[in-house]
This record gives sequence, C-alpha cells and structure tokens, in this order.
Amino acid sequence: MATRGEDAGRQALTRAAVVDRAREIYDDLDFGVVRQWLAEHPGGKAGGYLPVYAPREVLHACGFLPVGIHGGGDRLEIIRGDAFYQSYICHLPRSVIELAQSGRLDMLSAVLFPSTCDVIRNLSGMWKLLYPDVYVRYIDVPQTPDPGAAVDFWAGELERLARDLGDVSGHEPGDDELRQSIALYNDVRAMVRTLYAVRQERPWDVPTEELYLLLRAGESLPPEEFIALARGYLAAVEAEPRRPRDNSRVVIVGAFCEQPPLGLIKSIERAGCYIVDDDFLLGNRFLTHDVPLDGDPLRALAAAFVRNDQHTSVLYEIDPLGKRRLMRDRVAAAHAHGVIFATPSFCDPALLDQPMLRAGAEDAGIPCIAFKYAENSGQFQQFREQAGTFSDSIKLWGAA
Amino acid sequence: MAISAGIDVGSGAVKVVVMQDDDSGHEAPLAQLSARIRRREIAKVAAEVFQAAVDASGVDEIHYVATTGEGEDFPSATGHFYGMTTHARGALYLEPRAGAVLDVGALHTRAVAMDPRGRVLDYKMTSQCASGSGQFLENIARYLGVSQEEIGALSMRATQPEKVSSICAVLAETDVINMVSRGITTSDILRGVHESMADRFARLLHSLQFEGPVFVSGGLASDVGMLAALRDALNKKAAAGAAPREVVTHPSAIFTGAIGAALCGLFRYKKFGQGSVAWATAPA
Repeated sequence: MATRGEDAGRQALTRAAVVDRAREIYDDLDFGVVRQWLAEHPGGKAGGYLPVYAPREVLHACGFLPVGIHGGGDRLEIIRGDAFYQSYICHLPRSVIELAQSGRLDMLSAVLFPSTCDVIRNLSGMWKLLYPDVYVRYIDVPQTPDPGAAVDFWAGELERLARDLGDVSGHEPGDDELRQSIALYNDVRAMVRTLYAVRQERPWDVPTEELYLLLRAGESLPPEEFIALARGYLAAVEAEPRRPRDNSRVVIVGAFCEQPPLGLIKSIERAGCYIVDDDFLLGNRFLTHDVPLDGDPLRALAAAFVRNDQHTSVLYEIDPLGKRRLMRDRVAAAHAHGVIFATPSFCDPALLDQPMLRAGAEDAGIPCIAFKYAENSGQFQQFREQAGTFSDSIKLWGAA
Repeated sequence: MAISAGIDVGSGAVKVVVMQDDDSGHEAPLAQLSARIRRREIAKVAAEVFQAAVDASGVDEIHYVATTGEGEDFPSATGHFYGMTTHARGALYLEPRAGAVLDVGALHTRAVAMDPRGRVLDYKMTSQCASGSGQFLENIARYLGVSQEEIGALSMRATQPEKVSSICAVLAETDVINMVSRGITTSDILRGVHESMADRFARLLHSLQFEGPVFVSGGLASDVGMLAALRDALNKKAAAGAAPREVVTHPSAIFTGAIGAALCGLFRYKKFGQGSVAWATAPA
C-alpha cells in the first residue's frame, strides 16, 4: 500500500494543496501526523528535539520518528509555562513546557536538548524531573577549534546516544542501518538545499511563508513523506509560475532558535522584501554537505558536523574577525541588498552576536535594520512599517 | 518616455494617478481618479478605479504599477512603496518647498519630516485612538446631519467654538451629543472638533525637526476649516516660542500618496526596468 508521501509524489498537486497540507501540520499542536505514524508503526517511537541541531539520523536509525519541537507559536495560550520561567527568559521554553504539561507531547519517548543556550539546558533538567519515564539527553556539541578532538568527542557522544536510544526503542542499529538513515537525511538536506536555491533564484515563486510551512511540516513528517511533499511543491511551482515584483532582497538573521510567528514572515514579504536567505529552522541546513556513506557511519556524521560551513551564534567562531565578515559573505552569496536582524526577545546567543554582525555589515556598506519578536507576537504593524520603509530606502536610495 | 501608475489604497478611498515622464526629467499626471470604498470589496474598487484612470489617460502601456497604502495585493502591481515614502515624495512634487507632510487619513494621521529629495527623516503617528482621523470627523458630521463638503465652510462661520475631548473619540462623540442638547450651533461644534484635532496635529509636527512648510495631504486637505484650525494651533505654538510653521496644501492633495507612488515607480523604471523585470532577479 502506498504511503501518503508516495501518493503526494505521484499526483500532480497544486501549490495550494501542498501548502494547505503543510499548514495543517504546522497548525496542529497535538502532532496528529506523529500520533498517526505511531499508530501505523507498532513498536515505533517518537523522539523530540529542540533547536538548533540534533542528529536526526541517529534517532531514525534507532526506530524513532524525529519530531522538531518549536513551541506553540502564536496558537497557544501560556498558562502553566509561565510558572517555570522568569519574565526575562525567552518565550520558547515556557511554550514547550505548556505543550508538555497540556499532554500534547505525551507521545514522545525521548527528547534531545541541544546545547543552544543555558535556557535550553535548564529545560532538559526540568524535563528529567517532570517526565522521569522519558529519555532526556542534553546534547553537548563540540566547540573546540581542534577538528580532530572535536570529531573524536562528537563521535563518542553519538555512539552513546545510539546506545541509549537503542535501549529505549529496543533496537540498537548496526552500521548499515545508520548508513541508510544518513542517506535518507542526505536526501532531506539535498531537498532543503534545492528549495533554498530556487527561492534565492526566484523568490516570487517560492515565498518564504510557503517554504517555512514546508520545512515545519518536514519536522513532524517521516523524511520520505517530507521529500515527496517538497517534490510536489517544486513541481507545482514550475507548473504555476508567478510574476516577479520590484522588491528588495533581504537576509533575515537571528531567528535560528525561537521561531517567528508566520505573520511576521508574511508581514516582511508583504512590505516589499524578498527573503532570499534566513536562519529559520537552521537544523535542517546545519550540515552543509552530504555525509559520506563509507567507513564508520557515526564518525562520518561527526566529521560532517565539525567540518561543515555553517556559521551560527551557537557555534564557537575560531576566527576573531569571522563574525564581522559573515554578513558580507551571506549577502553576497544570496545577491541580497540588506539585512534584517529579527531576533527573539531575550535570545542571548543571537543578541550577543548582533553587534558584531551588524558592525561587519555596516562596515561593508550593507543596509540593516533590527527588531525583536516573540513566537507569540500578534501585532505586526510595527514590523511591516520597519520592513516597508527599509525596502523603500534600499530601492530609492540604495544600491538595488 | 516612461509611464507609471500610482495606486493608493486607503481605508476610506482608493486613489489612482497615471503619470508620464517625458525623458527630460519632467513628470506630469495624465489622469487622476478616486473612489470611496463604502463597504465594497476593496480589490474590486481598486481594479475599477485603476482601469478607469488608465482609460482616461489614453496610454497603451503602463511601464510600472506602483502601489502604496494597503495596496500590496493589487494583482498587476510591479512594486509596492510604503505610505510615508510616497506621501513625502508626492508632497514635494506638489509643493517643492515642503519640509514635512501631514497625512490626515481616514483611520490615523501621520506627520513625516523629509529632506529636499523626499527621503523620510523622521515621523510621528497619532496613537490607536481614532480622534485624530478623518473617519472621526466624518462620524461627527453624520451625527450633525451635514455633508462632508459642508464641514469646512460651516466651521469657518463659528463664533464661539466649543472644545471637545482631544484624547478619546468616544468621549469626543459624547461631548458633541451634549453640545447638541445644549443648543450649541453646528458651526461652533465643528470648529471645536477641528481645533481639538488641530491641537493633536500641531503636537505631532512640533515633535519633528524640519525646515520649510507643512504640506497637508489626504482627504482633509480640502477642509478649509481644518486648515484654519491647524494654522491657528501652530501660530499659538509659535507664540509660545516654538518654530513658526507655514501650512500649505494643493487641490490634488488627496492624490499625494498615489502621485508619490507613481513617481517612485517612474524612478525605478528608469533606473532598472527598461523593458524587463530585471530588478527582481538575482544579478548574474
């Protein structure tokens, strides 16, 4: 019997149908697709992961459906979550706690907390206390400038993770199974790279709102279904081309952990900006190249992490001038005209880097604006105003 | 020669201007039309007014369709420009000496300071309250049973203006009802409303730094009573030590945003768009 993903790949779906399907998954805070997968796969487990990077291949090889946990956005009223965090802490952890305390994450047998910041680390501690039956792992990714030591450390961590997850699922994967999962996620990453490349070339054909919904759906769907859905989207984009507009091209920076509400992305686009690069859902693009399928699979995965080209606030930057160059390089690569620093309120990693990044951009003559948001921001007029005047200034007074 | 259209979709009306640039840097409007929305579907009104303006202009081709206001979704738009940008640019076209524009729209009022090229330097807006908006004045006129066209002339005949609340539209409307029951004349009530609004506008303008006259745009620019009240309010501020401000407007002031959008479109077309949509593609 064909899976839903195979069906999506075979039928010529309209763009609206693909986007509606992705939006339905995005809107569903009860993770219906995950629960459905569990019902259809007796013995299967669901494993959650917080932003930014988690080794989904390891979860998958151990029999888990990897599930991205990004909070409830602007669709969840926080009642219990506020009791766990002070008002000067970002919105994401209280929203994740709210999801969990309301039973919406009770299908997860494991949750991985990457070392994004102290808040995420503390959230892992809370999870251990609140949910002792769930496997909880704080993932300390390597930050050392010595690549050899970093690969050794990270490969060891991945082996331990595979053993632990194998204990939970009752299935510790062999090398071939790990390679199969790595190959599958190589395909996922290749698809994401294709989507980003098409958007960069024709942003009017791939609005970021639609791209974002697809990627969010991909963090709940089985990887094969995501690839089929994305393939259907790309086919629909070719079949239903749109007319370009005279918009400015911008890079959005700072939204790698707590995700912006969809309305914010829409507001920026409606204000006359084509988003041609961003760091939304960055975990999808954390490994910038395919992971080799020969040799020790976990070591290959570790090496791919250490040797990737991704520069982000959650990784140590060896070169002291690297962050000052970063915006210039990203803007040039994306053929962009300006940078919008859209940062979650109280996001330490993003806000600590922002002065360096902005100074580097301004030194290079790149126009910038900055604003802060929370995942539940509901008023977008101020963002629209800022993005609109920014776009105008680029088009009328800048290089565009 | 380049031809552009500017479409300003406001909350109360749609304004469309078709402009021509004759290659010598001289820009001139070929047609300008507006229509009240009046609970109709905005997209339909915009499409109708646009088509009527194109027909009236007699041109075969529009090189750039520029939208502003709430017009982002206009299907044949080439580009969109923000309201502050277009009102600043349009005000300078209609009054080259202007240093600021006061855009009195249906739902809010915005004071924008600009440089001589039309670049926005600073701006201030009325807050969420509707008491500084054209819609508020329209509501008051409806309570008083006068048409919008009569408001200005009636206000100018006032002898003992009655002040209304300048803080809250709800309180102001209650004030007006009380005045009517106390037998205050329509002229005095309207002048009081004008003065209340003008006080707010004067505060907005005095919070900005600019040189040159204030250009009043939007639907209320043709309201002589409002302009007189604004001049009085600014003169009072000047008497108290603030910088004196000249208030100017233009018969086409309601089209300021649409004119600005059309001019921005001409600029973009001449800069990049000759015969293609190259501006939207990534450089090779």
